[in-house]
Amino acid sequence: MFLTKRALIGAAAAGIMAASTAAYAQQRTNIEVWIGLTGPAQEEMIKYGQEFNASQTKYNVNVTFRGQYPEQRAAAFAAFRAGNPPHVMQMFDAGTGDMFGLPRATVPVSEVFQRAGLQFDPAQFLGPARGYYSRPDGTLNSMPYNVSTAVLFYNKDIFRKAGLDPNKAPATWPEMIDAAKKIRATNAAECGFSTTWLAWIMLEQFSALHDLPMSTEGNGRGGLNAVLNFNDAPRAKMVQTLIDMSRDKSFQYGGRSNDANALFVAGTCGMLLQSSGGHAGIARDLKAEFGVGFLPHWPDLTTSPKNGIVGGASLWVFNAPNRSAEEFRGVAEFLAFMSRTEMLVRFAKATGFLPATNAAFAAMQAEGFFTQNAGRDVPILQLTRGTPTPNSSGYRFGRWTEIRDMYHEEVEKALQGQQTAQVALDNAVRRGNEALRQFERTATAAQ
Amino acid sequence: MERKVVFPGMLLPYALLAPQILIILVFFYVPAGQALWMSTLLQDPLGLSVQFVGLENFQTVLSDPAYRQTIARTMFFSVAVTVCAMVPAVLLALMADRVVRGAMPYKTILIIPYAIAPAVAGALWLFLFNPSVGVVSYYMGRLGLDWNPKIDGSHAMWLIIIASAWKQIAYNFVFFLAGLQSIPKSLIEAAQIDGASPRRRFWTIIFPLLSPTTFFLIVVNFVYAFFETFGVIHAATQGGPGKSTEIMIYKVWYDGFIAQDLGRSAAQSVILMAIVVALTVVQFRFVERKVHY
Repeated sequence: MFLTKRALIGAAAAGIMAASTAAYAQQRTNIEVWIGLTGPAQEEMIKYGQEFNASQTKYNVNVTFRGQYPEQRAAAFAAFRAGNPPHVMQMFDAGTGDMFGLPRATVPVSEVFQRAGLQFDPAQFLGPARGYYSRPDGTLNSMPYNVSTAVLFYNKDIFRKAGLDPNKAPATWPEMIDAAKKIRATNAAECGFSTTWLAWIMLEQFSALHDLPMSTEGNGRGGLNAVLNFNDAPRAKMVQTLIDMSRDKSFQYGGRSNDANALFVAGTCGMLLQSSGGHAGIARDLKAEFGVGFLPHWPDLTTSPKNGIVGGASLWVFNAPNRSAEEFRGVAEFLAFMSRTEMLVRFAKATGFLPATNAAFAAMQAEGFFTQNAGRDVPILQLTRGTPTPNSSGYRFGRWTEIRDMYHEEVEKALQGQQTAQVALDNAVRRGNEALRQFERTATAAQ
Repeated sequence: MERKVVFPGMLLPYALLAPQILIILVFFYVPAGQALWMSTLLQDPLGLSVQFVGLENFQTVLSDPAYRQTIARTMFFSVAVTVCAMVPAVLLALMADRVVRGAMPYKTILIIPYAIAPAVAGALWLFLFNPSVGVVSYYMGRLGLDWNPKIDGSHAMWLIIIASAWKQIAYNFVFFLAGLQSIPKSLIEAAQIDGASPRRRFWTIIFPLLSPTTFFLIVVNFVYAFFETFGVIHAATQGGPGKSTEIMIYKVWYDGFIAQDLGRSAAQSVILMAIVVALTVVQFRFVERKVHY
């Protein structure tokens, strides 16, 4: 009897202890963060989540990879429909317009910080990134995180073989065409140049650089009724240039997304238009010396090209009926932690993405990072040059992921010789506008 | 004098059937019903607004010339995959059937590809045929063939046909081999004595006796080409270049998951279901008549 009693007391004590440990764990509010990045960037973000947890006792952030951007988005949207979305979601650039068109689903990050009573200044972010993710009134809808832009990479060994100056990147399209033709004429490489992310570089970056609108209504900022109109002479000329150059392989199409990168690192192509985020991979895989230059422009269209636009992704805060004020506070604390200068510098160094804030860029400059890593500052200088115009501050189009692919499909058909550049752009615009009207109909009903 | 086994009461037979019925309900009828319901709705990507639009999604999809091209492309692809997967399988089975010594290793080697996931098969063939690093494209280049599935639609189409068929050859091989082994040797020997050539023996004896197997495999391969080749296409071409390798199942996925247009995607899956049901009915009604069991 005595024994059982003691055993009982022991069990009870153990139970109380277990309960209090549980209570201690429960005191921490859980914050779910879904990301869509792979490789070193994914490892870094997961690590930062753990460091945030170690730095305080009130919140437990759980950073998880839920498939690459499109899969992650599909999963997050499905969770939203089921009433339990993640607190924070990483959304790639092209998905931004969908989120802007459906404002009820999210809480602007400016407001998240305001509700939590935390200091937050949208002006700390690089201009084009701020423009890309903020409302006309300056409210930042999502927090820029992994920022990139497109630049020119060129193989210096191939340049030398072709008799070109390896210390001078082609700055304009005529120079670019000339260099590519020389590479082919001297047989310094199998192909002159290639490009990754076709729509992002040849349509979006191109339009921003040359200060050309992609649609009416200020690239969609003025309303959901924007009508695409990028099927004009300058952009058709760009596509026609690619078609003409592919005849003698001074240009070679390398496939969608990042596929063409393989052509450059294998030494098949002398030049590559690529996301700045590809820098580390090229440095690792290319067995030759390479240089980095600005995206080329057409001097007959502009003599002072504008800033390029941002790519990458931003962090969005979902709204849901079951969210407590405490959870939003935790989200604000986490986002503040992630946007600290030293955290952004670490992220930029480890991944090759750009530092998202001016302060982080300045800090990297001050410690001499860019003198030690030549070419890493080119994307930032390109992003921050000149004064951004409405045409170089991004766009607000719903279903842009799909419209990008329409552009890919139509230009691919033109490259196969099935249609002219003008017809390709006419078709992309017509199909894109159908998708925009469909989105307008559903988004208007959702407001 | 026929004796029937009759269960006492109604409860037991229903209870015994229940698990199977439940599985079919949960995994077939409920999703199919949901697809049917969703195909009549217009929604935004996040589901904040849901409007009933009747048959509008079907009208949009079917009046799109690009979708009609996708249907035609899917038919071509399915026929090509079925032919490319069955002809080599018959030939291999005929050879393997004649091997006396060491038959097992041969058979095992021929069956292995079936165990490979479609996405892996796609990646494998993509790698072999990659224009910049692929072994096959290297030798094709040396022969003077400019192989580039990244930009040439018909190259891309043949790439996914070969990758899809290759995987299925192993499956067909198993069935053909079993079919061949069930053909009585006496029939073939009798024909041999009568002086029939190997070709004649194949067309007049072996092929007719294989027809139930062949018919079964045609149906299975067709359904495979329609539904299970998604992994191959996703890994190898993502439907491109242009739309040249986008088959119906790929478009269902794309419109649903990438474009986040659930209504249109659901309408397409209903159309796809209807086409496959119709094809199977046609195959059973017209082709099966010619089958000798």
